[in-house]
Amino acid sequence: MAKSFDVVVIGAGTGGYVAAIRAAQLGKTVAVVEKQSALGGTCLIWGCIPTKALLEHAHALKVIQHAAEWGVTIPPGSPAINMPQVHARKDKIVGGLTRGVEFLFKKNKITWVKGTARLAGSGKVDVVEGDRQTLEAREIIIATGSAPRSVPSVTIDHTRIITSDEAIHLKEVPGSLVILGSGAVGVEFASIYRRFGSAVTIIELLPRLVPVEDEAVSAELEKSFKKQGITVMTGTKVTRATASSSGVAIEADTPDGKKSTINADVLLVATGRGPVTTGLGLEEAGITLERGYIKVDELYRTSVPGISAIGDVITLGTGVHPQLAHVSSMEGIITAERIAGQPVQPLNYDHVPGCTYCDPEIGSVGLTEARAKERGYDVRTGTFPFGVLGRAKMAGESEGFVKIVADKKYDEVLGVHMIGPRSTELVAEAVLALRLECTVEELIKTIHAHPTFSEAVGEAAHAAHGAAIHM
Amino acid sequence: MPTPVLMPQMGESIAEGTIVRWIKKVGDAVDRDEPLFEISTDKVDAEIPAPAAGVLTEIKVNEGETVAVNSVVATIGAASEISKQEPLGSAPPPAAPSLDSVVPRDVDAPPAKPAATPRKTNGRTAAKPSEDDSRKQRSSPLVRRIARDNHVDISQIHGSGLGGRVTKNDILEYIDSETGTGDSLGAEAPGAKAAGSGTRDTGLGTRAADPGSRVEIKPLSVMRKKIAEHMVMSRRTSAHVHSVFHVNFSTVERIRQQKKAEYEQLGTKLTYMAFIAKAVVSALRRFPIVNASLDGDNVIYKKDINLGIAVALESGLIVPVIKHADEKNLLGLSRAIADIATRARSKQLKPEEVQDGTFTITNPGQFGSQFGMPIINQPQVAILGVGTIEKRPIVVDDAIAIRTMAYLTLGYDHRLVDGATGDQFMAEVKQQLENFDAQ
Repeated sequence: MAKSFDVVVIGAGTGGYVAAIRAAQLGKTVAVVEKQSALGGTCLIWGCIPTKALLEHAHALKVIQHAAEWGVTIPPGSPAINMPQVHARKDKIVGGLTRGVEFLFKKNKITWVKGTARLAGSGKVDVVEGDRQTLEAREIIIATGSAPRSVPSVTIDHTRIITSDEAIHLKEVPGSLVILGSGAVGVEFASIYRRFGSAVTIIELLPRLVPVEDEAVSAELEKSFKKQGITVMTGTKVTRATASSSGVAIEADTPDGKKSTINADVLLVATGRGPVTTGLGLEEAGITLERGYIKVDELYRTSVPGISAIGDVITLGTGVHPQLAHVSSMEGIITAERIAGQPVQPLNYDHVPGCTYCDPEIGSVGLTEARAKERGYDVRTGTFPFGVLGRAKMAGESEGFVKIVADKKYDEVLGVHMIGPRSTELVAEAVLALRLECTVEELIKTIHAHPTFSEAVGEAAHAAHGAAIHM
Repeated sequence: MPTPVLMPQMGESIAEGTIVRWIKKVGDAVDRDEPLFEISTDKVDAEIPAPAAGVLTEIKVNEGETVAVNSVVATIGAASEISKQEPLGSAPPPAAPSLDSVVPRDVDAPPAKPAATPRKTNGRTAAKPSEDDSRKQRSSPLVRRIARDNHVDISQIHGSGLGGRVTKNDILEYIDSETGTGDSLGAEAPGAKAAGSGTRDTGLGTRAADPGSRVEIKPLSVMRKKIAEHMVMSRRTSAHVHSVFHVNFSTVERIRQQKKAEYEQLGTKLTYMAFIAKAVVSALRRFPIVNASLDGDNVIYKKDINLGIAVALESGLIVPVIKHADEKNLLGLSRAIADIATRARSKQLKPEEVQDGTFTITNPGQFGSQFGMPIINQPQVAILGVGTIEKRPIVVDDAIAIRTMAYLTLGYDHRLVDGATGDQFMAEVKQQLENFDAQ
């Protein structure tokens, strides 16, 4: 006798577990099938949480390294990172959060089925490993997420040539680290391991770091990385990576047409993440795929009625779908509410904030200057550097800026791009501004408390209208 | 004691009015009932008389602004009461262009009362919001900015956002649907255009004027906009067909000459229009389908015959309605036609006098046209066009004779009225006119 649920969610990552909780809150009986031994998925176990924990360690080290500037006397000898302790603290944080999700499941009476799911047709899900059984579901939500993906020229061996899954667990700090790819994952590990003491080289195929960000942000990050001693190789194509017992030899074509070989202890491949669909039985179920991703409509319905999909595993067929925890969880909420018969509206993907926790950190939302021009807007921008602010001087953080991209015609705030101290927090104001369709004038009229980093947002708005007050 | 001047309630369904012109300026002496300002509502334009004698001490609503009915628009007081900051005779103070204080326009389509036309314009609210609701129409700073630049009334827009909030997309789609342009990024404001900036794309990749060309760009009047909307809507709504009949007006002409003096004594002029109206009323009685409306899957037969008479104005057109035209004789119709035409031209019509028409007569012949192909006045299903009435050679008993003739055109909605019915109706009108019974 198969157990029957209103909703069966496949995958307990940020998309899946949030969808499950929301559905349960709305009175649905819910089961979640998860093949890992803990709840939380990539975000909690492999991604956001552990990497940001490592970044806080790096930040702590940075402050201690500058102790003299702060008037703090420490005993002679250079401060160093203790990796076992770092991992212990990080793992404790991760463990606490995954158990938090377990608690939420219990609280909301969500059944956690440990195993690997496979679609069995007509509202059935087979659990083929772990707690083998067949579940019946009125509605199925696929939230199987993504996994690191390499490029054809590089084969992952998980010891010398690794992905972020291994990079969060490195027992010792590599003497030299080459990072392939300068998206969020690449630049974050560059910051972590550079601070921990590695000689870091970051290689990007495209002409600039963090290619999805505004060009000004890329330029600022490159400037800062170079200052920190990170070797930046943009416009560079890796043609081969050969691992040996002593290290990795990386062959690359540089933009000046030369071939170059870089030797490193470890190569971290951070070239993107692909959908996890193996063994799900998608094709047998008749679900349409696009480039391996599950194709969904704007309310996350797949081509098969009764089956929805959310998160990193989907494509909306309208360009790159952001693989971000906060996007997945919002998609999970929308899907759960739609299934429960509540009125829902499609997400506006122009309003998705991006936070990159490199040093200096990046927070951005909306259109970049280039993208806004592509869309045909008559663009004006306003930029204000953090370094001018009293608050930034106190914190010893003088890098970076806030840049506002606006439409000249109607004064609409189209995008806000910041790099520098607390940018990942400061971006929240900008997200709300876009969501509420704010004009630059409204940002100018909004009181920004003094002394705070957020003053840079108000000043950038002033700058977009002609002149900042403190410049 | 100062007397507040209010925006008058010009009809039940009218929530607001636009001040088109101040006839008096601050500091001017006014008599009670002397015209004080001119307003435009979506139904009529009218001159509003002063409610009291005195001096116009303050103008609170400037020309071009729209306010809710019963809002105070000015103050009349003794000469000494002129606002201190307002020197005598100076321009009215610039009222803050706050959109929030301006109450949105009534969303009723013009005379579409008993039978709603199957009109579903993109983004329009289905029902008229109460005044209170519309004040609270939720939007965003950006939407208010776009509305201001494009002179759009946000309350007319259906909000798709949370809690009915009007979003950027809503207002841009609304502007597109109103103007027919596909340019969602850059819908230009018709009224707020700097000289030389050109006009918007007409949707076919052509512009009415290129930037920098030698043109003068003026915003449309409220009436012009309504006519434009209504005409396009009518062409879209009805399956227009036209039948043209050649009618002998000799009998009518004879009676007119006989009775002219008598009518003048009674204080009115006997015009061809009265005869035509009488004949039409009689034909409408025989063919009730022509005095009807189409509402979805239903035909609405109107028990009353309310005859609209199109009156050309200096800068537009208005169709005042003779209610219960079937209860009037030739004299009554003559008087009614003269009365509404005069009052239409002097902007003295009340809003209810342009509503509830069931059939319309228009007279392009007065300007020399042989015949017209009129567009139906929705939600009616037919309209009669009167061509010029003149002596023409015609064949009578195999001989060429001179007779007073005119072409009459019936424009009708083929969805409801077939050619046979339309022609039978016209044959009846023709028969009535050619054999007019003066009694």
